[in-house]
Amino acid sequence: MSALTFTLKQETAQRVDMSPLVCQLLKDVSIDDIAAIELQNGKRKIPVSELFDISGADTQNIVIKNSFAKLDFIAKDLQDGSITVEGEAGAYLAMGMKSGTVTVNGDVGLYAACEMKNGLLTIQGNAGDFLGAALPGNKQGMKGGTVLVKGNVGQRVGDHMRRGTMLIEGCAGDYCGSRMIAGTIAVMGATGRFLGYAMQRGTILLWRQPKLSATFNDCGTHTLAFLPILFKSFRKFDSKFAAQAIAFNRVQRYGGDMAEKGRAEILVKLPSAGQNDSAFSAESFH
Amino acid sequence: MLIKLTGGTVYDPASGIDGQVQTLYVQDGRFVKPPAEGVKIDKEYDLKDKVVMSGAIDMHTHIGGGKGNIARMLIPEDHRKDPVHRSDITRSGCGHAMPSTFTTGYRYAEMGYTAGFEPALLPINARQAHMEMADIPILDKGGYVMLGSDDYLLRMLTAKKDQKAINDYVAWTMNAAKAIGVKVVNPGGINAFKFNQRQLDLDEKNSHYQVTPREILQVLATAVKEIGVKHPLHVHGCNLGVPGNVETTLNTMQGIGGLPMHLTHIQFHSYGTEGDFKFSSGGAAIAEAINKHKNITADVGQILFGQTITASGDNMRQHANHGFANPNKWVCMDIECDAGCGVVPFKYRDQNFVNALQWAIGLEIFLLVDDPWRIFLTTDHPNGAPFTTYPHLIRLLMDKSFRNDMLATIHPEAQKMTTLASIDREYSLQEIAILTRAGAAKLVGLEDRGSLAEGAWADITVYTEDADREKMFEKPDYVFKDGELVVVDGKVVHTKWGTTHIVRPDWDISVEKDLQKYFDRFMTMKVGNFKISDDEITEDGRGSLTVHGLNHVT
Repeated sequence: MSALTFTLKQETAQRVDMSPLVCQLLKDVSIDDIAAIELQNGKRKIPVSELFDISGADTQNIVIKNSFAKLDFIAKDLQDGSITVEGEAGAYLAMGMKSGTVTVNGDVGLYAACEMKNGLLTIQGNAGDFLGAALPGNKQGMKGGTVLVKGNVGQRVGDHMRRGTMLIEGCAGDYCGSRMIAGTIAVMGATGRFLGYAMQRGTILLWRQPKLSATFNDCGTHTLAFLPILFKSFRKFDSKFAAQAIAFNRVQRYGGDMAEKGRAEILVKLPSAGQNDSAFSAESFH
Repeated sequence: MLIKLTGGTVYDPASGIDGQVQTLYVQDGRFVKPPAEGVKIDKEYDLKDKVVMSGAIDMHTHIGGGKGNIARMLIPEDHRKDPVHRSDITRSGCGHAMPSTFTTGYRYAEMGYTAGFEPALLPINARQAHMEMADIPILDKGGYVMLGSDDYLLRMLTAKKDQKAINDYVAWTMNAAKAIGVKVVNPGGINAFKFNQRQLDLDEKNSHYQVTPREILQVLATAVKEIGVKHPLHVHGCNLGVPGNVETTLNTMQGIGGLPMHLTHIQFHSYGTEGDFKFSSGGAAIAEAINKHKNITADVGQILFGQTITASGDNMRQHANHGFANPNKWVCMDIECDAGCGVVPFKYRDQNFVNALQWAIGLEIFLLVDDPWRIFLTTDHPNGAPFTTYPHLIRLLMDKSFRNDMLATIHPEAQKMTTLASIDREYSLQEIAILTRAGAAKLVGLEDRGSLAEGAWADITVYTEDADREKMFEKPDYVFKDGELVVVDGKVVHTKWGTTHIVRPDWDISVEKDLQKYFDRFMTMKVGNFKISDDEITEDGRGSLTVHGLNHVT
């Protein structure tokens, strides 16, 4: 059975709420009924068939083609199944996702992986601000699962993040890991200002020396036995993080944010003797 | 337009009509005499076998003012769960614990309510509160101006100013803030909080002003009586939520010396300290005291289980309770020289001993107070529960077996600590009409409201009799506001704007001399700007003012 494929006919002026088109809601629904589902488009409601050409039949394997940056709430609350987006995705991608896999070929908007609970989200392009964050006013952001971003990410990555792993091959904007409760964020590229702002617990893993606030204390150099195990767990991903060459166990450890609980750590890779670091120099990210 | 409402079963306690079949006529917004033979009836509604009451009045509901907006900002997750879409005649918004202004109006009307009174109209924020209430469609509204922790009054008391000067200040403030009553919240306690006192009992002195809550209650209750305001002093007492506060509340009732006084959300002030958990019901003692003291009225402030948010001027008590915030976020703030504000989200749980007993205490008070004219149906929206739970609450009062079924599901220790199961009383429809209509109109001092008599404004609710009272009261067949049909089958079909109810007690113009100096010295606002003019309420073309009469002042 081939994947259920929605091919966008043409871009709309207003944003589209894609939340009805997820695997668990389409299970055992006929193609005709799917075509008749109404999507909120700005203040109008339009049937799926008006927006997309529909082909294929496997509702547990959805492909969205010609996607563009105004398709919001793709894979919202996704429970099992897989969704592949060819093109860009709008805001709130994989918000509240419970399980399954989501892959986006292009860039994604604000609040991707917002309050995500589990599963795997892969973003080939860049992600906007508030990746894996909590909705405004909410107390807990991403609560589990893995987010893999091959490009750069915006500001406030992992704001209020509670659990889970965020792997960022590119650079992160300001306030990376702000108000983080727990979890792991790994950033290969550069990080912006106010890293770990008001962070309570959790780990930020870095390959490059960040600019740290005064409320983070230098705890010295460490050899951490858990790091090789952590890196080994990344092997299964199609990512730079899977490469053996990027693994390390010698770090400079910083504790903070002392303006908060202060039980979080920022681990920065120490250049070890004889190791060639050039593969991860700044050039590879720009 | 002449409307005929034919053959409904009418419950109009204000006119002493208890379930008689009557035909009512409405013209130009008011009830009129049956017209002469041959006069053309423009519209007739057949109300055979329907229950007809006047529009309900919520005499204590937090629907305007800064704390409401803080509450809205604090719980966006609650709004997200209850979005309200626009329709051709209604506007979009959001609902649940602290709904948007428009949704507040629609949802009240859809339950048959046609008026709501904001009990914490801070003088300095009164303009904002009125503007916010101006955005509540359909409902009539009004507010009780909050005094008692304002520095000006406390300075007057410290300086031993005479009662006349205080009367003038109270009357002046009521006029300036466009109020229909006076409320006092934790008398002097909000101010004492600013001087680092974290509790203040009835006879405990404010460490700065050396004034006790009892003195404040005494002078304000006297002032309200002497300037002729019909709504008695509206009192949110000391020690809200503190185990053992039943003593304070009884003491407050006795200590007022026969002056009219309304004790609000009294459920929160009826706690004893007995039992294994040092928390017990004072419901019976409170009800007995209310039965005995005819000068006392009370509304219950029933809690109902579920998520809500508590918003109060009582920042002393809100600060003390912030540890219970659920979700864990809260706000306490000072409001310049006037009072304070505390907003704490709360989830009342039936398996929590304290919450379960609070639920039972509220119901005990409802059922043990004999005189339905002196007890009022409130949840202190949104503090005990959102107002949308009223139909459920009415069913609890009217249906003993339902009540006992619910009682059987709460925390077992709480069941042992309440006498609720042994109370047989069931409210009648007439009594519900008193609690929510006639009694409330009388208490607030509304003329020509809460009644179906000739000459009264035609605020009407029509229900279909149903043994399940919750179903009956949550979906009226028709609601009329000022003679216009606004709700059919529990859905808004037409919107209009209600009026703002106020009183205008007299005051001596010389009071402004001192106030002018005080404002110039301490306040961020000039005294001229502090006073709300009539135009501010009416100039947008949809607001209006209805001035009610005063008691004859001797």
